[in-house]
Formats: sequence, C-alpha cells, structure tokens
Amino acid sequence: MCHRSVKAAPLPCLHLPSPDSPIRSLAFKSSWPDAAPSKSAVGGGGGVLSALDRSASVSPSSVRAQLLWRQFPIFPFPTTPLAGHLKVKDQEPRKPVFELLLKQESLKNKMGVGRWEWWGNKWVYWLIMGFHLLAILFFTKGFLLTRTELPYFSHCSDVSQSPCLHSSSDDSNANLNQSNSNPPQCWTKPAVGRLVIIVLDALRFDFVAPSTFFQGDVNMLESKPWMDKLQVLQQLASQNPSSARIFKAIADPPTTSLQRLKGLTTGGLPTFVDVGNSFGAPAIIEDNLLHQFVQNGKRVVMMGDDTWMQLFPHHFERSYPFPSFNVKDLHTVDNGCVDHLIPSLYQEDWDILIAHFLGVKLVDVLKSESEPSGLHENTLLLVMGDHGQTINGDHGGGGPEEVETSIFSMSFKQPLPSIPSQSGASSFELDSDKKNLHISSIHQLDFAATISALLGIPFPFGSIGHVNLELYALGAGARSFKGYIEKCENQSKLDEWMLDYANVLCINSWQVKRYIDVYSASSVIGFSHEDLLHIADLYAQAMEKWVSHTKNFFIYKNESCDTVLPALERQIDAYSNFLASVAELARSKWTEFNLKLMAIGFGIMLLSICIHILAITKWQYVRAASSQIVLFVSSMYLSFAVVVEEGKVASFLLATSGVVKLRDSIKKQKKMVLEVIVFLLVIIICRLAIEVGLSKQTPDFEVSNIYPSWMLRIACGLPVLSFATEIVPMISLMLLAVLLYKAISSIYSEGLWKYVTVASILSYMLIAVHWASESNILSLGSVLEDIGRNSIPQMIYAVGFAQLLLLMFYPHLNKEKSFDGKKSLVDKTVAMLSAWSSTIIILLGKQGPLVSVAAIIGGYCIMRLGNIKNKDNNEGIGSLMIDPLTVAQWSMLAVCLFFCTGHWCAFDGLRYGAAFIGFDEFVLVRQAILLTIDTFGLSLILPVFGLPFLVACQGSICRTEKRKHALFTRLSLVYLLYGLIVATTVTATMVCVAIHRRHLMVWGLFAPKFVFDVAGLVLTDFLICLASLYYFSTPHNAEADL
Amino acid sequence: MIILLQSDPASTMKHKKQGRPGELSASAAVSAAEAFIVHSICAVGLAVSFWVAHSLHSITLISHPFQTLFFIWVVECPVVILLYSRYRQNRYECSYLRAVGRGLLGLLAGALVNAFGAIALGAPVGVKYLSSTVNWSMMMSLFVVVPAASVFGSSWTDWQRLFALTKPVGTVEYMICLPAHGALIGSWFGAWPMPLDWERPWQLDHGLGFGISEPSAC
Repeated sequence: MCHRSVKAAPLPCLHLPSPDSPIRSLAFKSSWPDAAPSKSAVGGGGGVLSALDRSASVSPSSVRAQLLWRQFPIFPFPTTPLAGHLKVKDQEPRKPVFELLLKQESLKNKMGVGRWEWWGNKWVYWLIMGFHLLAILFFTKGFLLTRTELPYFSHCSDVSQSPCLHSSSDDSNANLNQSNSNPPQCWTKPAVGRLVIIVLDALRFDFVAPSTFFQGDVNMLESKPWMDKLQVLQQLASQNPSSARIFKAIADPPTTSLQRLKGLTTGGLPTFVDVGNSFGAPAIIEDNLLHQFVQNGKRVVMMGDDTWMQLFPHHFERSYPFPSFNVKDLHTVDNGCVDHLIPSLYQEDWDILIAHFLGVKLVDVLKSESEPSGLHENTLLLVMGDHGQTINGDHGGGGPEEVETSIFSMSFKQPLPSIPSQSGASSFELDSDKKNLHISSIHQLDFAATISALLGIPFPFGSIGHVNLELYALGAGARSFKGYIEKCENQSKLDEWMLDYANVLCINSWQVKRYIDVYSASSVIGFSHEDLLHIADLYAQAMEKWVSHTKNFFIYKNESCDTVLPALERQIDAYSNFLASVAELARSKWTEFNLKLMAIGFGIMLLSICIHILAITKWQYVRAASSQIVLFVSSMYLSFAVVVEEGKVASFLLATSGVVKLRDSIKKQKKMVLEVIVFLLVIIICRLAIEVGLSKQTPDFEVSNIYPSWMLRIACGLPVLSFATEIVPMISLMLLAVLLYKAISSIYSEGLWKYVTVASILSYMLIAVHWASESNILSLGSVLEDIGRNSIPQMIYAVGFAQLLLLMFYPHLNKEKSFDGKKSLVDKTVAMLSAWSSTIIILLGKQGPLVSVAAIIGGYCIMRLGNIKNKDNNEGIGSLMIDPLTVAQWSMLAVCLFFCTGHWCAFDGLRYGAAFIGFDEFVLVRQAILLTIDTFGLSLILPVFGLPFLVACQGSICRTEKRKHALFTRLSLVYLLYGLIVATTVTATMVCVAIHRRHLMVWGLFAPKFVFDVAGLVLTDFLICLASLYYFSTPHNAEADL
Repeated sequence: MIILLQSDPASTMKHKKQGRPGELSASAAVSAAEAFIVHSICAVGLAVSFWVAHSLHSITLISHPFQTLFFIWVVECPVVILLYSRYRQNRYECSYLRAVGRGLLGLLAGALVNAFGAIALGAPVGVKYLSSTVNWSMMMSLFVVVPAASVFGSSWTDWQRLFALTKPVGTVEYMICLPAHGALIGSWFGAWPMPLDWERPWQLDHGLGFGISEPSAC
C-alpha cells in the first residue's frame, strides 16, 4: 500500500515557512496528475513523493503533500466514494477540495504543523461514516423486508367500479329477480352462512395426510410415529370426496403464529416492518377478514389462543382467550376450549366460530360430538393449521416442514356432482382402504379471498390472494344457478358453476389490481416499474377478454352452448395467470431476503473495517496484534446467539478485563489496586441493574427468582424506603453538581467553558426542583407545579441546546489566546459532557443521576487503569500508544450503561415515557429526538464525547514540543479505535442476523437487535465526526508548542 | 481433566531436568516423582469425593451442584492442606501446624476473594444462590489460594511472583502455580458458554460452569 512506503517521519519537527509560497499551489496542481503514471512505476505514494520532490525540492507544499498522503492512504484508489468526486479525468474536480483546505488554512493565517493531519483525520471519519451508511443501506434493503400498511377498507359499494358482474347489479337487472327477497348482497353471492374455523397450532401436513401419500418421497421412507393418527379426517375425506377434502396448505414465512394469523386474515404477506404498525400493540389495523365479518353483520365467537385477542381486540362478540405462551402442558388450554366449543356449536348466536387449539387430540372429540347431528346445512367446517413445525417443534423459518400445513374442509350441503380440479396441483392417492383420496394444495395467501368469496363479503383491501378453485367449489356446492344460462338446457351445473367462478375471479382480479395500484401510489418503497407494467399488461389482457367475450354469456345469453366452456376456461386461465404473477411479485418483494444485497452490504462493511484498521495501523504498528485480539473478543460475544443476554455478557467481559487489570496492577507493586476494586464494584452494581432491567423484559419471571419475596414486600412497605427512592436521586444529582463544580474550580478552567459548565449546574438545580415538585416531598405551591411540569424540562432542553450551540460555534467566532493543549482538551470535554448531561439526566428520570455517578466512577477507573501500562514506556514513541484494551473497556462500559438504564434491544425496550417529558402533544421529529437522546444518551453520546479523557490523562509526561502533536494523534487514534470496535460488533450482528434469518425469533429478537445496532453505529459515526470537528478545531494553538 | 493431569507432572519433570538453580534454600527440595504423587493423591481425593457423591448420595454436579461442590471441598480440604503444608517455606521457623493453620485461614480469605470475583463476573446474587456461591468459592479457594497460603504464608513477593508475573521458580512453585491457573482459566471458560442457547443442562448450573474445569485443577 502506498502509505507504507512512506517512512513515518517525526512530524512535529517540521518548521514551515510562510504559507503563501507560490510553489505550493503549483505543486498541487501539477503534481497530482503525475501521480498516475509514476504510481505504476514506483508503486503507490512513493511515486507521488518522488514526483513532488522533482518539482519542488523541499518546499513546504511537498512536505504537506507528503503529510496528506500519509493521512489519505485511500485517496489514490479510485473506487472509494469520497474519491469519487476527485477522480474524474482532468484535475479540475480535484481542485476544490484542496483549494478548500488551503483556504481554510490561510483563513487562519497561521499554520500549525498538525493542520493537515487533523483535517486528514476528520476526512477519515467522514469517509468511514459514508461507508457504513452505504453498507447499512444495502444490507437493510436486503434484510429488512418492509411493506406499507394501507389504511383503506373494502366496502360493498366498491364493486360497482369493477367491470365484473356483481350481485347488486344483478339485482337491478330486470331479468334476474329471484334474489329480490334476499338481504342486500355484496361482492359475491354468499355460498355459506356459517363458518367454523378450527385452527390447530403447528399442524404439520403429515399429521393429516395419510402415510401413503409420502410413499414416493425419498425423505419419508420410514413412517413417522405421528402419521395416520387423525384417522377421522382421512375417513371423512375419502368417504365423501365431494364434500370433504384435505388440502396441503402452503404458508409463507415468517411462520410464526402472529404473522401467520395476520397473513391468513388480511390475505397479504406480513413482513417484519409493516410500516404503520403501532409498535408494541400488534393489533391489525389493515383491512382484514374479521373486520369484514363485523362490518357485514356476522357475529364472531372466538376461543383459544389469546394471540387472536391481541390482533383483534374489538372484533369478537364473545371470546374465551387462553394464554398461549405460558403453556406447561398440552391439555389445559384445549380442555378449556372443548368445554366452550361443544356447547357453542349448538347455539345459534354466531355466524363465525374460531377456535384455536394447541393440541391435536381434540379433533377426535370434536368429530364424535358434532359431526353427525350438529351442524347446519349452511355451514362450512375448516380444520387448519397456521403453520407447520420441524421435528424439534421449531417454526418460524421457511423450510418445507415449517411451511407445509394442511386445511381440511367439509361442507354439509349438497355437493356438486363433480368438483373441478385444478390442473397439476392435485394428486390422487390410494388410501389405506383402497379408496381414492384427493389431496390438492392451496396457498395460505388465498385463504382470505376464498373465505370472503364464500361468505359474500368484500375481500380485504390488502388481499392479494386468489380464490381457490377447489375450496370455493367445496363451499359453494350446489348453489342454485338458475337464471344465468337458461338457453342451454343441456348445460351441466358444472358449467354454470364455472361461469360463476369466472365472475368471482374477475372481482378478485379487479380487487388485487386496485390494491397494487394504490399500494404503489402511496408507498415510498413500492414495486419496480417493469413489474408493474407487466402486471398491468396481464390484467388488461384478461379484462379485455372479459369485456369482449365472457361477459356476454351473462348478459345476452345468445352464444352457442358449445363455445361457452372453452371460453370460460381460457378466461379463468387469464385471471389465474394475472393473480399468480401478482402473488409471485409480492412474494419476492415481501418474503424473500435479497441475499445479494445483503452480501454487498456486508462486503462494504468489511471494506470499511479494513480502512479503519489501515488508518489505525499507520500509527500503531506494534499494538495492532493486541487490538485485533480485543476486537475478536468484543465481536465474538455478539456472533453467538446471546442477543438476550448481551448486557450480562458485556459486564462479564468488562469484569474479566478488570481482573486482568488487577493482575497488571499487582505486577506494578500494588499500584491502583483500589481503583480496580472500585471498578469491579461498579461492574457488580451495573450487572444487578441490568438484571433488574432484564426482569422488566420478561415479567414475573426473574424478579421472583433472584430476589425473594420478603425483600420486595419490605421494599414496598417501608415509608423510609419510598422516601429514600425520592431522596437518593437528589443526593446523587447534588453529587454530580459538586463534581462539576470541582472540575471547573480546581483545574485550569477559564472563559467560556466555565460558564457553560456553570449553566449545567444550574440545570441540575432545576431538575431537582422538577422532581421535587413531581413527588410530594416538598409541598410547593400548586401554581409552581403547573408551571414546573412542562416548563422546567423545556427550559432545560433550551439551556442544553444553547450550550451546545455555543460550544460548537464559539471557537470559530472568538479566537482565543492559545493555551496548553491538554488542559484545553479537558476543559472542552467537561463542558461538552456537562452540556449534554442535564438533558440526558432529566430524560432518564430518577435513575439518571445514579447511573451517571456509576458511569463517572467507572470511566474514571478505566482512565486511571489505562495508565498502568503506559507508566513504564512513556518515552519516545511509546507515548503515542493507546492501549486498545482501555478503549474496549470504555465501549463495553457504554454497552453496560445502555442496559443499566433499563433499555434493551427491542421496540418495547424504548422508554416512550421519556419522549413526553416536558411536552404533552406528539410531534414526530421532536419526540423522536428526545427518544433518541434518552435511548443512546448515556450509552453513546456521553462515551463518545468523553473519550478525550482517556487521552488527556495519559499524556502528562510528553516533552513539550511533542506534546500537542502526540496528544491529538492519540485522540484521533482513540476515536478510530472506538469506531472500529462499534463497527466490528455491528458486523458481527450482521453475520448473526444473516445466519439466523430463518430463525424462529428472527423478527422477535434478531431484527430489533440489528435495528438498534445499526442505529447505534450510525449515531456513533456521526458523533465521532462531530467530536472530531469540535475537539480538533482548536485554532492555531499549535504554534505555542513550536 | 486428563490433559491437565498429564501436563502437570510433565512440566515439573521438564523443570527438574533443568536443575533447580533458583530454589530457595529453606524450602524443601521436591523431586518430580514426589510432585506427581502429590497431584495423584489430590486427584484420587477428587475422584473419591465424586464417587461418594454419586454412588452414596446419588447426586451429580448437574443435578445437585452445591451439594456436590460441598462434598468436593470437604474431602479435598484436608488432603490439600496437609499435603501442601509439607512443602512450607522457612520450615525451620514455621512449624507444620502453623502451615496448616495458614492454609485454613487462606481457605476462608481465598473464598471471600473468589466469591467477589465470581459475583463480579456474573454469579447471581441472592439468598437462593448463596449456598452455591459459597461452596463454589470454597472449592476454588482450595485449589487456587490454599496451596500458596500453606507454602508461602503472607510473603507478598512470592504471591506477586506467582500470580501476577507468573514466574514460578522450582518444583514446589510449579506445583502451586499450574493448578491454580488451570482452575481459574478453566472456570472462566466454564462460565463462557452459559448465555448461549444450547440448552444443555450443564450450562445452567447457576452461572459457573466450573464442573468441567475443576478436575483439571488438581
């Protein structure tokens, strides 16, 4: 690599003459194009340098260019995005950047040697951030499948917009008057009046299908123990094949109950991020079957799994929910269900009965009870699984065992003489009794549409299913079709039925097309243009055929009877073709991960890490190996499936590093043993806090385990304790204020920094007043309370914001007298931290000051312990070194703090209450910013801005002329290392997520974890960039050292 | 277990061949065979305690962690203390009984340190887990701290050399150093797979998967 060929020259000894030398700009303009040919000859930066040396022997510009090359090992590679606007054919586009740099420099009118270097560092940060953003963009696009939920609902009247025949228009049609007495009808003619849906959780297909079905299958050579246990269904299906039938139902991943129920009822393909979904409450707000049931006056009764209650909280007439997750045995829920189900079956007060069971056994019970006598003629019985399962009982992924489930349906009305069968999709099997058993397949996607068609209600708006021929035929049965085709007396009922089906498909296609159109119009990330064109084309063909030919069968009835059936079949084919391609498109969009995009994103991420490591190794050849070890350890704990326990793992590693430090400190004659012990104590406290936080995540599980009940009872009972919970945060808040006061009074604080810090001390006072007024310790006047509740937090936010603005822009406005680099660094850091802290503390609530104190102690210990190694080799280049372990400890402490403050990586781990401190109404951007500060405040913002402490503490023994340079080199190194650690963990998460993309908990655990990590990474990068702007922009104080 | 049992004598043997230039004058000279015998006795003690726990009380480390741990340390305690007290330093100033007393004191002090370390590293805190933690730290202390306490007493430089710098000199110090580090590192790695969701029973014994590592200690 080019930068390697440049010797690491001791930078600080370069004394440069005036910046306005004419050669400089010339050197830049002329020598850069030379780089390309000379690079090929000598290789990399060496060629450039030789070219530079030729043009201007020892001019400052060449030295500066040399510095630049050292800072930008990336620049010669034309592939990087930053170089993208530099690499164009002539040298013109390159100019602006360097012109800008030069201008910046001449604007200061004084030049420090380190000038280029600091700029270079900043560019590295921005570059890395760009890479990360790109990588995340690609990976997320491939991994997080998103779909926008549309708030539209289907209505009965909508159908008049379609070109199809619908029952309401039929009614108005003069020659069809038989249905005048019927209740007002909707999209299709209702075929069944009552529906019994029995959902069996994780019903594998081979539970239901006879074992003979699998005889040809290589994987199923031996018969499994669970096969042929549901004899009832098989017998029913084989005895009267025209009224009962077994379907192989194919679900779409993710095959988790909640997602599947959503898919079944909406007829769509639910994804992880259904935009518009209210986080936390999973209730379906899209149009769905249940909504349509209720809209159309059907009474719904539900019993069993309480997931239904979460999804449809207000839809049921009666419901008997049973908790589904806290299940210890197989029969409690089911027995409860049976108790309710059997009586309900005989009652008349429902139209739809849904029973969701966990076990399978009860089907037998059910059959023996209800089958002979009970059900109405107008009833359709469906026994179905929501998804399959693997041999181990896992489900969630997309494997054939998980995806294949079955639907058994049975109707009690007069069947069609022969049910039409789909070509290709069905297979005949010999039952054990040598009877024909017909098994065909159906997609779960089609369920909602088919049921809607059978019940005669509008299809759910977002349904992209296809009314299944056989299931529809089974339900529709021998409906009276008189009136359609009267001329053809010889026409069989089948043909009439086909006509009806064609009309249903017409409505179906129209509805799907409407959805696709509306979706692509309203969604940001819709379908691609070509796909839409293709679909529109297919639709137009089918509809044209409909309008020109098929419709005539209904209206004019003067076609010759022989042509009807083939025309109908062609029509049905056309519609099926359209619907199938829509389903295929939707599947590729909503259920399949784009592995290519994920791989690209991952590759870019790796590239960025390589750049990171290159940038680090420029300074630190020696320690690279040890830094890799640290990175390995820190990334390892994420690549395993320890997402839930991440906080504990981080504290484990942190404690391990503490023990290692203890060993080091004992090596050095008992130096700083106290710090280590305090550090370990802080870790213990953190860990306990993490455990309490985790127990919030899984209620009534851990707390009772860890803490015996008498402790809790005492904690609740004693008034002293409740008083203490009020007063301890105040005390620690005061402690923080005192610490800040000491920080500004004892050391070298001056000027602006001091005032900023004083302002945050005042903010602390305000926070204390705010809390006091909230709790009733101090009986403040009610007036003050009213004002205080919202105005004090707002005031604090305002003060914090003003402080930040001041800190960011003050150095540019006011050219302060230069002073010692290290002291100014400490001052700036203290000021910055204090500016953030007040806002963060009030958002975190009463735990805020406690955790902050713990964080300060922990950080202080890390800082002190970082010195152990450096004490012995503080001469020469040794002072440039940063122990990567220290930075890793810092980042692990940050991770611990994230969990300490009661967060965890899930969307219900966000503390939504924090967003409404100081505000009552919801404004998206404002509340999002507050929530972000609350979530990442203590775990990202403060650690990133606090990193200079690690450096400032170490550089005390540097020689004067080197001090400044060494200080800032180390600072940039620390930031690089920190960024690298965070980036590595995110990469590990990416790997983890990619491996587990078909895991049962992928949407429950891994995807939220991924989202949090990615958000954290982007925020870290951004903050590092900000910090580099802030800390490195100390103007022109370098010459003080020269 | 087997590996470390084999490796301990082997390393002492190696050291033996190099001679023992740094051996302190007052401490006992120990041959490799003797070291091997000492370790074997410890191992036998461990095996006996496991056997007693398993056959007489039918408990195992996985089913009844802390009872088994209790058996282990109670059986091993006299063995280790009595054996290692024989190799005390300054044997002319320090009687055998005094070395035994040092060992017992070391057991308690070491248990405190180990318990602190275990809690820092993630052992659950609470009354329910108290007995497990206590028993575990007693046992760890027995393997890590007690031998050194019996031999060195309160000589800080020796402790520092052994545990911080890891520069043992002489057979006796190797006899102390290797099992101690083996036990520490082994228990750390034992704790490592606990958060993983492999759902193996040995992961679950309350945070300390020392079960695998402990036999290696002796």
